[in-house]
Amino acid sequence: MNKLKAIMIKDWHINKKSLFVPFWITAGFYAFILLSVAFAYFKGDMNFNMIDLDTGPPVAEINYIVNMAILSLPGLMSLLFIIMLTQGALNEDIRKNCELFHRSQPVSIWFRTGSKYLMGIAGNWAVMLIIALFNFLVVNIILAIFHQFDFYSAVNGMVLSSISFMKTGLIIGSITFFFSAIFKDKAFFQGFAILLGIQFLFMIVNAMLNWHLPLPLTYLFKLVKLNPMEGLESNMAPTGIRSHIASAWGVILFNWKTLIQIVFSGALFAGATWIYKNKEIK
Amino acid sequence: MNIAEVKNLTKYYGKLKALDEITLNIPQGRIIGLLGKNGAGKSTFMRCLLGFLKHQGEITILGETIKSHKESIHEHIAFIPDVSSLDDRLTVRQTMDYVASLNQSWNAGKAQKLLAGSDLPLNQKVATLSKGMKTKLYLLITLSLDVKILLLDEPTLGLDIVFRKEFFNTILGEFYDESRTIIISTHQVEEVEQILQDIIFIDKGKMILYENVEELKKKYSIFTVPSDKIEELEKHKPKLITKTLGHVSAILDSEIKIENAEESKPSLSDLFMEKVGGSNE
Repeated sequence: MNKLKAIMIKDWHINKKSLFVPFWITAGFYAFILLSVAFAYFKGDMNFNMIDLDTGPPVAEINYIVNMAILSLPGLMSLLFIIMLTQGALNEDIRKNCELFHRSQPVSIWFRTGSKYLMGIAGNWAVMLIIALFNFLVVNIILAIFHQFDFYSAVNGMVLSSISFMKTGLIIGSITFFFSAIFKDKAFFQGFAILLGIQFLFMIVNAMLNWHLPLPLTYLFKLVKLNPMEGLESNMAPTGIRSHIASAWGVILFNWKTLIQIVFSGALFAGATWIYKNKEIK
Repeated sequence: MNIAEVKNLTKYYGKLKALDEITLNIPQGRIIGLLGKNGAGKSTFMRCLLGFLKHQGEITILGETIKSHKESIHEHIAFIPDVSSLDDRLTVRQTMDYVASLNQSWNAGKAQKLLAGSDLPLNQKVATLSKGMKTKLYLLITLSLDVKILLLDEPTLGLDIVFRKEFFNTILGEFYDESRTIIISTHQVEEVEQILQDIIFIDKGKMILYENVEELKKKYSIFTVPSDKIEELEKHKPKLITKTLGHVSAILDSEIKIENAEESKPSLSDLFMEKVGGSNE
């Protein structure tokens, strides 16, 4: 395990700048909001659209929805940076001309690929969760000031939304990681272009010959689809937020789709490692 | 005792035959030069030895059959392909820590000693180092490994003469003992001529010669005669006759006697020219 640790430390040194970028974007976002508020304050133009607390939605619902929404920016950033990091995972050393140096070290190829996989996916999950936690504190302190804080709904909203983004990130990252074992450059776009080509080819063949060839992108989109707020409108009114949260855990995490996503990601990781291991090192 | 045995090693790149039925045994404790023109197959041979390239034929290193790349062999073999192959994104310290953590054969004491004798900036990124500094770093991390075999594939390419000399002197001083084997691939043989014990000539993927350097040099002599006596050389059918000011020279069997000819010992590059020829075609 010491070797895995050494590889992970090396990959951390290489990727830390990219992993920190979402923090800087978030800081910029907060700075922009603070400046806007300060600017409006000094101009005497502080007209907020206040929610009518008496006739508005219940506090628990507000908390649930708001705490899901605070994941939007860090969640989308994590997906973007997962693509950026994983699409260079298994080909960047070749492009940087240091593949021979790394491959001449006595360490298992599975540790090498595993570390890159973890750095690309779990690294971005960790960044997303740190930003989400910060957003959670900021937003819920404001809600608490207005006596609108409901701990149970808030925590569930944030956690369920985080899990939803993490699952999508896992699938997208695994697919891109797999492409990085095949393509030397712009792996995500090259892989996606090929899948798109196959999709159109199969659609044409299906239409012309009345066949039913499976469409790869249709299946992938089903696996990738984000669903943090699925069933929110239909469930909430009749059963209340607590009942919705209970069912949301089933919809988002505890289901067969999650298992398929994990197995599919594991298969892509293993496939990518196998391709990478069997490539000639020139 | 042989540390490596190669039997009928053949490698194709598409239709191009890069290595052609190479068979040889590499004994322990030797410094072996692998000499060939650009594109002769030297790097391909080294990469096949390490399992980096798929190949036909059999390779056994330290008793282990090499069919594809096995990470475990790097516990015993250090490989310097080209100093530019270090990871530019790491600092000097990170590179050293990385190699030290992965290699059980890392000798921390030796690394400290070599580091103390160098002016390597520990916190500087490898990308910002000069080629000479990169060489020092690569040497430091390689020589700090207690391995049995050192493979050097054109390690001094692009370096100035001072660094090239320093490179080979350091390797000889800090790494070599009679239990360790060094294989150096180069096309600049003059630099390593003094340290080589055995030499392999390789051309167009074929092994032309594999011999002890001293014995090889004893077998041949350079005969120099005035230009008007060129027929004295020609009747021994040399592969190459070199013209100099008013004189002609040829490498011939040292047993041959030519009256009034000046006789001198050939260098490895002379012998290479004699055996392989000068053209790239």
